[in-house]
Amino acid sequence: MPETHAHGVGRQRAVWSLRRLCQLAVLAVLVFVPWLSRNPHAWAPSRIALGQMPQPTLVPVSGDTWAFELFDFRLVHPLAFVENWLAAKTLYLPMLSAALLPLAMTMLLGRVFCSWLCPVGLFLEWNERLGQWLARRTGWQGRRLASTLPDMRYAFLALCLALAFFFAMPVVSLFDPPHALGRELMYGFTHGEVSRLGVGLLIGIVLLDLVLVRRAWCRLFCPSGGALGLLGRWRVWRIAMTAERCTHCQACDAACPYALMPMSLLDDGRRFDWTTCDNCGRCRDVCPTGALGYRFGGQR
Amino acid sequence: MELRGNRRQVLRWGVSFAFAAMLPADFSRPVLRPPGARQDFLARCIRCGKCMEACPFDSIRFFDLSAGGLAHTPYIDPLRTPCYLCQKRGSDGRDRPVAPFLRCGNACPTGALVTIANEKKVLARVGWEYKIGVSVLDRRLCLAWQYDSCGECYYNCPLRDQALRDRPPDMPAVQGSGIRPYVDREACIGCGMCNFVCPVRKHIARAKIRRDVKLTLFEERYAGMVRNVIGRAGPGVRLPAIRVTREW
Repeated sequence: MPETHAHGVGRQRAVWSLRRLCQLAVLAVLVFVPWLSRNPHAWAPSRIALGQMPQPTLVPVSGDTWAFELFDFRLVHPLAFVENWLAAKTLYLPMLSAALLPLAMTMLLGRVFCSWLCPVGLFLEWNERLGQWLARRTGWQGRRLASTLPDMRYAFLALCLALAFFFAMPVVSLFDPPHALGRELMYGFTHGEVSRLGVGLLIGIVLLDLVLVRRAWCRLFCPSGGALGLLGRWRVWRIAMTAERCTHCQACDAACPYALMPMSLLDDGRRFDWTTCDNCGRCRDVCPTGALGYRFGGQR
Repeated sequence: MELRGNRRQVLRWGVSFAFAAMLPADFSRPVLRPPGARQDFLARCIRCGKCMEACPFDSIRFFDLSAGGLAHTPYIDPLRTPCYLCQKRGSDGRDRPVAPFLRCGNACPTGALVTIANEKKVLARVGWEYKIGVSVLDRRLCLAWQYDSCGECYYNCPLRDQALRDRPPDMPAVQGSGIRPYVDREACIGCGMCNFVCPVRKHIARAKIRRDVKLTLFEERYAGMVRNVIGRAGPGVRLPAIRVTREW
């Protein structure tokens, strides 16, 4: 919440630590759930000592960001539901109900999955630090192709959905990065081996980020992020600008990982790309006067 | 120029990588899916991996991206780990369920796998479309039929006396006679335990199977019914006594 100084001078309390906590929690779930399900001794030593079969019900959490389960309460990525619907040509109601909560979250809060939950996004943020460090140490400035590359997310999304429909087979599920990470962890803990192509995909995304442009995969290619962005286009919770506090320092423009120019919110916000903004709050954190902040409803 | 060549190489790799997942796989070849797989399994499955996570015996494996259209779909390789049908043998020699339902079907969020109650009677009556496969016995190679010296498959079958019987139904019971394994094709759901314990199969497996996993995973359709069809293993390799093949 913006502080109520007379002239709004001073930063707000940063939101990034809370966001990082959420990301780390998701990463911890991705790592510890398969680990626990393979090492039930760590979970319930007494039942193992009785000589009973380790039952997976002992670990009530399973799945990853694509499909998740906690005590029979299920969550499914909205795009996974849509792909299943298009490929199978039937509406599976339990899956729809599992997709409703993420759907509602995206429509109310925007594309927060990408900034607050996605573990690959966390790696890309750390990778950004690595890029800065590299630039400082070696003077190497990668990312020269930033302005020349078109945004292919929606074309990719349409292509994947068309393929899913005509080939009767989900497509985004094969390479969605957070799911690829979760799957490699799952498979690694279960069978002690990882797929070279899967790990290569993840490393490739990180390298792409280092070479092409900041958050290259997220802003140029990611179909699931694009789908969430479209769903969150008319979100309720959004970044808003208090014009009288803005000092035109342009710190927010430099901080935005998608180069969305939050300064353009000084106008009525029509030119701001609400589909791409994922409510990460980095512009809000760097704003020295507290002009940028989260709002429910309000101007757009 | 060199840089250009490098860049072209990188581009080529990238493009081939991008299209690797798009390559159509050979869908006509049967793959042993987890129990409860529907006919439209490939369309419904969202490749989430929860069936593998739910499996208490680590029987379920996944293809990786190099499998093209089959990538990340679950399969069971009975030679490495058969499906135990979520049952565990107690010290008294009787199988007890470790879960009230088959875990993989219960974990599936999409309806690609259906939930099957884990009772012997129910499992023996599972319809054709939910079966993993059906096991096929070659009496000419079977040690029990030829030498009266085996019976491992019979003793290890989770659906003993239903899917695998100690003699064919038309054979009279003779006092003192050994096991003559007989597969009831209606009751067998194809878990692969007989395949896993068959000594003839294991002998071949040790010599051959690590180099040609496809022999097990992608057998020709209906190969089980045509004796002496060896597939890609080449001549000179003897057929396994028991293997599991998928009917559809």
